[in-house]
Amino acid sequence: MAGPSTGGIAATRRAQARLGLALVAPAVVLVVTFFLFPLGTAGYYSLTSWDGAPGSAPFVGLANYTEMLRDGEMWHALLNNGIWVVVGTVAPLVIGLVLAVLLWSGARGAVIYRLLFFFPRVLPSVVIGIVWGWIYDPLNGWLNRMLDAVGLGAITKGWLGDARLALYAVLFAAIWATFGFVVVIFLAALQNVDIELVDAARLDGANAAQRLWHVILPQITPVFLMVTTLTLVGGISVFDIVFIMTGGGPGNATQVLGTYSFQSAFQLNRIGYGTSVALLITVLSVPFVVILNRLQRRLALNETGA
Amino acid sequence: MKSGTARAVAVVAAAAFALAACTGGSAGNQSTGAGGASASVSGKPGGAITLLIGQPENPQDLVLTKQDLAKFTRQTGVQVKLNVINNDNLRTILQTQLRSGSGPDVFGYDTGPGFAGVLAKAGLLYDLTQTYQDRKWPIYDWAKQRVTFNGKVVGIPDQVEEVGVFYNKTMFDKYGLKPPQNVSDLESTAEKLKAAGVTPFTFSDKEGWEAGHQLSIVLSSAVGESGIKDLLDGKKPWNSPEVVSAIDLFFQQFKDKEYLPKSSNAITYDNANALFYQQKAAMNPTGTWLVSDIKDAAKFDVGFFPFPAPDGPGIFSGGLGGGTFVSAKTKNPQGALAYLDYILTKDHGKWQAEQHNSIPAFPIETQGLQVTPLFSQILADTSKIAGSGQSGEFGYNIDVLTTDAFNKAMWDGLQSVLAGQMTPHQVADSLEAAAKKSASGA
Repeated sequence: MAGPSTGGIAATRRAQARLGLALVAPAVVLVVTFFLFPLGTAGYYSLTSWDGAPGSAPFVGLANYTEMLRDGEMWHALLNNGIWVVVGTVAPLVIGLVLAVLLWSGARGAVIYRLLFFFPRVLPSVVIGIVWGWIYDPLNGWLNRMLDAVGLGAITKGWLGDARLALYAVLFAAIWATFGFVVVIFLAALQNVDIELVDAARLDGANAAQRLWHVILPQITPVFLMVTTLTLVGGISVFDIVFIMTGGGPGNATQVLGTYSFQSAFQLNRIGYGTSVALLITVLSVPFVVILNRLQRRLALNETGA
Repeated sequence: MKSGTARAVAVVAAAAFALAACTGGSAGNQSTGAGGASASVSGKPGGAITLLIGQPENPQDLVLTKQDLAKFTRQTGVQVKLNVINNDNLRTILQTQLRSGSGPDVFGYDTGPGFAGVLAKAGLLYDLTQTYQDRKWPIYDWAKQRVTFNGKVVGIPDQVEEVGVFYNKTMFDKYGLKPPQNVSDLESTAEKLKAAGVTPFTFSDKEGWEAGHQLSIVLSSAVGESGIKDLLDGKKPWNSPEVVSAIDLFFQQFKDKEYLPKSSNAITYDNANALFYQQKAAMNPTGTWLVSDIKDAAKFDVGFFPFPAPDGPGIFSGGLGGGTFVSAKTKNPQGALAYLDYILTKDHGKWQAEQHNSIPAFPIETQGLQVTPLFSQILADTSKIAGSGQSGEFGYNIDVLTTDAFNKAMWDGLQSVLAGQMTPHQVADSLEAAAKKSASGA
């Protein structure tokens, strides 16, 4: 029996290639327009000393990057990002996991709790920042009023005005805004956990912590990694809530890379330098995303988890 | 506007206001256009413009502004869409809007190199140089200089201000206190108030700029007009002992002696004013832009004195506050310029003084103005800087005369002193470093 002619195969392949190109074109256009082009432009501006004025953007090579290495304020902001990444990732994960497991275990009123916990997630960060700013207000904020009411007036203070506490005060607000999202995601993942394994562990005498650590957590690891990636990258690129609540102050106490980049570019008119700091945020985020994604994929291939 | 500039120009007190009647200028039809390029602006104004202003301290002022805009629309046919945003967000939001081309046609903003100068440098402001010549706008020359950058006039200065200390006269009378005649007098006044359970000063610094104004008034009184001018001109270093002492006095000693509210760094400007209105604090160091708010909110007599010098009653800091600017990317330059014409009319100047209790940067007739005694005093004081002659010594408000990099060093540094993170010496050194960096153009 004669096979298809060579010309016919070639024509089919050309048609398939055209179809493939047509299908992939919209995605390519979007990626180029909204990712590669801005990234390339940012890369270019980071090599200039552009001050925002129309016209020339003097090329300065790697000067912005070398300045960044010598810039104490940048290192201070980076340290604050480090604190944010650690505390702002661990706290919502731990709180979210514990609450999700409690709700999953059949706590009464689970639906209401789920709604309450998720509520902050639907609020814009700006609103969260403003509301928590009111809560922390030293004169009229209810935190100080509450402390006064329970006889702890001695520890009242201007929470956002104390250089040692301000970062943690903002972080607390951010954790409040994040943990509900973690609860909901974990709850969804827990629906796929094999109950028989949990029951078997219970019969074998495993306590609640052991069941969580050795039985439940391994089954939701990919989701756990996904949530970790999101919160961790959010910690590196944090901007809005800090900007709203403290603007990086008092002094530079709550300065993070995002606010520092913004201030450099748009308040000090150093677009080139600000862009370099913004690119640093990208560079810092990428390895975490890649590593956690690979780990997640490997676990999925090994059919581990939800 | 919360910033004021001190331009201690000469003599001519109230007469300066009474002189020269001003008109809105003739309806010239040529102007220079966006980004400094020459462009023709002709034809009858019409269409619509967007006006962006910071939220006035007194909500009633916004009502008055809306009424005024309605009158402008009736007179010119130009519709105005008014946008109002929080003053503390104005700086960041405006720059971003103007750069993206989605900004307002006309907007209120602070003058000086650290504010309007930054926008001018970035080519975001409409060049009004030719329009000034064509329409003969009667702005004081010294005020015009504050909105001139690289030889281009880019705005209309619209407010002459003073920064000093408002005090609760009723409370002072109650405790037998008088406006202090020197720093030690001020300290004994503060001690008496403290003993009576009143916070001597209300003071906020959450936004950062408040400390810049405070340093301006303490330093201006300590070193005098020529001394602060030398600092601003780079003839004297910012880490000189007088600067260190001024920072130390208010931000360290007054804080330690509990003359200021606890946690000033966490208190907003509005809340600090509320402490004054509620009579929980007796003195409010701020600028004359607050007079309108004081008129409505303070249920007691209010006086105004300069922050005292170590050896005398001190001097007010004053000069130019805000201005009105046109975006380089305005789509309706005729409408925008018609608005500038309108706010520079004699009638509008009188309306501004009587209704907003703020002083325009052009001569107005002060005879028969219906104003409060407090504003009368301020009118008399500021007349010494507003006219063309010099009749008294005036200090400068630092932040509207310095660069954004210097202001950042000042605001961050003074917050850090209040937070116990930096010493006055360290802040003075960082001010000097920032001044040198700015002077070198880095």
